[in-house]
Amino acid sequence: MIIENVISAFDVVFSIQTLALMAIGVTGGLIAGAIPGFTIAMAVVLTLPFTFSMPPEQGLATMVSVLVGGLSGGLMAGILTGIPGTPSSVATTFDGFPLARSGQPGLALGIGVWSSFFGGIFSAICLMTLAPQLALIGLEFHPRDYFMLVIFALTITASLAGKKLVKGLIAGAVGLLVRTVGEDDAAGMARFDFGSEFLLSGFDFIAVLIGLFAFSQLLSDVRDPDVAKQSLAERGTIKAKIEHLMALKEIGKRWTLVIRSATIGVFTGILPGAGGSVANILAYDQAKKASKEPEKFGTGTPEGIIAPESSNNAVEGGALITLMALGIPGDVTAAVMLGALLIHDVVPSPSFIGDNPVLAYSIFIAFFIATFMMLGLQTVMLRVFVLVTKIRMYMLAAVILGFCSIGVFALNNGVFDLWTLVWFGALGFLMRHLGFPLAPMILGVVLGDIAELNLARALAISTDFSTFFTRPWSLFFLIIAVFSALFPLFQEHRGKFKWTLFYLPFACFAVSVPLYLMGGVARPVIAIIVLGFGAYTLWKRWKSGWEIAAEQELKAS
Amino acid sequence: MVSLNRDSVVAIILLFVCGVLFYSSFDIRQPDYGVLMPSTWPRIILVVLALLSSIYLIQSLRDKRREKADDELDIRVDAFAIEKNKPGLKGFFEYWRNPIICFGMFFLYLITLPVFGMLIGGLIFVFTLMSLLGGWKPRKLVTHAAISIITVGAMWGLFTFGLGVMLPEGVIFNPYAL
Repeated sequence: MIIENVISAFDVVFSIQTLALMAIGVTGGLIAGAIPGFTIAMAVVLTLPFTFSMPPEQGLATMVSVLVGGLSGGLMAGILTGIPGTPSSVATTFDGFPLARSGQPGLALGIGVWSSFFGGIFSAICLMTLAPQLALIGLEFHPRDYFMLVIFALTITASLAGKKLVKGLIAGAVGLLVRTVGEDDAAGMARFDFGSEFLLSGFDFIAVLIGLFAFSQLLSDVRDPDVAKQSLAERGTIKAKIEHLMALKEIGKRWTLVIRSATIGVFTGILPGAGGSVANILAYDQAKKASKEPEKFGTGTPEGIIAPESSNNAVEGGALITLMALGIPGDVTAAVMLGALLIHDVVPSPSFIGDNPVLAYSIFIAFFIATFMMLGLQTVMLRVFVLVTKIRMYMLAAVILGFCSIGVFALNNGVFDLWTLVWFGALGFLMRHLGFPLAPMILGVVLGDIAELNLARALAISTDFSTFFTRPWSLFFLIIAVFSALFPLFQEHRGKFKWTLFYLPFACFAVSVPLYLMGGVARPVIAIIVLGFGAYTLWKRWKSGWEIAAEQELKAS
Repeated sequence: MVSLNRDSVVAIILLFVCGVLFYSSFDIRQPDYGVLMPSTWPRIILVVLALLSSIYLIQSLRDKRREKADDELDIRVDAFAIEKNKPGLKGFFEYWRNPIICFGMFFLYLITLPVFGMLIGGLIFVFTLMSLLGGWKPRKLVTHAAISIITVGAMWGLFTFGLGVMLPEGVIFNPYAL
């Protein structure tokens, strides 16, 4: 059965039309990723309007290609000009740019390209092996578990805003609220339409996403008149030839670093809300800590390029794992992918892989092929990159705004979506400048309907609210939602206040309860291990006299 | 003059919006069936949002007391301004000139869409926006015109002929379009 599905998926993906679209997608992604200010999410969101006339497998394969291309495109700008093309390649510039400036731009690019390739392949393998397993766990979820999972996804995304936790939570709630406008799905009653027939149909969420992400980003990119008129070519080395063999030798010497960084990338991707922008910094930091020569970081060491590039390309595999297995997007780009699935009337859920095996395997295969295409096209795109760097940001902004209008109109052949685009563009722009993170809002918009639907289903089964706290999975998600909401406060107070000493042990104790309640053999064993770890941490802290870092420093001085 | 910092203004606006939407949630018709009424979910969100906005307001007022000198901004104009811009209305428009132009031009483009249609309207929009942001020197105008014609023409052609989307024609091409 699996082999049949894989063969069917191969048939779809290996058609000349799909491969051509994927090549265009990877090329587009590489260009978009190379342009600072043009994020990967923006590239993927702008691809959406093209895909709804395509069969779902073809549309998704094209979007996956843009995604893979975008993840790798950022390194070209980062290494050659010192300006990261995307937030996912910020750490690449720390060592990539110095290495390029020291006369080895070809080697720096080669290391970046091959690290991206290996990171991508590693995450594609994880996606193919882990997603079906996680989906099996997901099948245990009842509607109230699923509702709590959505709440957890929103909370953890908001908590990534750090000190701006409240702003993040507000953004998430606004996203959920936006989705309630129009007819309600269950009863068909009008909500917040204020007598307008346009509002009655609700906001098209793709128009909302393009407005929030692309439109508002473009307004921010041209905010500074001087920067808007500048081109990339005014900085750095542009001419280079990728040194493939030398790069492979360098990576071969540090293959454990590739695996470690890619693992960091996959797990960051699985975590809802955390994307490549977090993973590349995290992997760079870990590589520096584990290195025998940490002082060389920042001067052009290959390790400083391998770590961020293998991790940021591995992120999307992780993000797609949660999307395909649970229907919860791992990051903003995965949220857009979820939008693409919804356009084709495919609702991602734990039964997604079982219900749509050909589509699921097409995505897996497309991810693999796109990674190989990226490797081949990167060399060619280096020449195009030279041309891209001559484009001024204001030109790009004007053209993309024009494109946004045509693309959004094509969603439903209606002008209302264009108004949605402009208002949400303005809202997104305001939110950016007022310090509200957009990721929780986007997740709120995408997950709003799913949350309401599952709440309605849960209450239809039983009106007893206590089951939200007594069902193991529901309780599990509630507990990790609470602890993830407290995490920014914990980070801020760590080493300064005594209560932070209890955060980790208490989190372990709390999580072990639902794990134990889940039954079976493995989960109670995991619960006991987690409980033991919590008790050990608490005991260690008791032995050290409940001393916090500030007190230890005081004693030492 | 009452002065509030930027965050306080935003928090008050959010609370006001919550109030208005909560009030209008009573206009939502309730069916005789189902457990979760159509108004319940929006009300849950609004209560949570109001609660978070109140925390945000309290935080902003507390921060204002801490950093009184730096963060206090005039409520009329400077509530959405950030560092480096000159004070007053002129400074505000200078700082936000380009986003305001983009927003205004897009607004005009949408209003005139039934007249010009997407092809002509798109061309005018992209060309004018580029020139407003990049300058009106003759050489630049030629570049802007060429870019507008190539990109908008290509996108219009792709959607019309490639994807079969009926884009607005406008009264210029079709007098019955209005």
